[in-house]
Amino acid sequence: MGGLQTDAELVRRALAGSDAAFSRLIERHQAAVRGFLRRMLGGGWAEADDVAQEAFLAAWRSLRSLREPAGVRAWLCGIAWRKAQDRIRSARRGAARDNLWLETVATPVGVSPEDRMSVEAAMAELPSDVRACVALCLADGWSHGEASMALGLPLGTVKSHVARGRARLLKALGGPDDA
Amino acid sequence: MTPEQKLAALFAAEAPPARDHAFQARMAQAIALRRAWMTVAALVPWVIAAVAVLWALTPVVGPMSDSLGEALQPAATTLAGAAVTVVAALWLSRRFNGRFRGPFNAR
Repeated sequence: MGGLQTDAELVRRALAGSDAAFSRLIERHQAAVRGFLRRMLGGGWAEADDVAQEAFLAAWRSLRSLREPAGVRAWLCGIAWRKAQDRIRSARRGAARDNLWLETVATPVGVSPEDRMSVEAAMAELPSDVRACVALCLADGWSHGEASMALGLPLGTVKSHVARGRARLLKALGGPDDA
Repeated sequence: MTPEQKLAALFAAEAPPARDHAFQARMAQAIALRRAWMTVAALVPWVIAAVAVLWALTPVVGPMSDSLGEALQPAATTLAGAAVTVVAALWLSRRFNGRFRGPFNAR
């Protein structure tokens, strides 16, 4: 029965004090938020999950500031985006942690470890806002409008960031150089 | 594989599982901890107020306890403090029951 509830209904119940409803929201959106942060931060998944936890806690505290309950996924990713920016600016990120992650992540079938490292390097070289647009639109299949709303960037900027990021990543994989 | 297919495969490899009970359990623990701190922070002003009231009542309670006898003074003071604490706790628990529920209670 709980699985049929809309995000708006869950937000309403969570605002009324239901932790079960907020837990359901976490269950429903954790993959999107954590996936976005993994691609955004690029380093170890543990770091992305730490930031995801901070983002969900911040969302729990500021649930009343959510103006459009139906757009909770974009709102959550917006909070995660700001947390990720804070993390990138801080000195808490370590190269050793990133290298450890590169050694432990399994490479998909048909993709060489060199390709994976090339894409990782290309992602790391992208400006953070371009990386965020790539993570949402290319990797997660968000529309440009959704990404624009979540990241607080103009729609045209999101479109150009996605195109630029995609060209850079494909070039890293041996694609045409049209960046 | 084309570069587009490789890119899609790499992105898919980073995707977290649709359901992750370990992550949800960590979130539940973090929220419960945050809620506990919020409850403690909400109680602090009331504890301070209760101490101030008891301090203000000391001149009244003191002579009364003298008349009842020196032996009853510690017991009376302790009982008064316990009564104030119980009343405050009951009132606060009712007040916060709706606002701060237990961690991940079903509703």
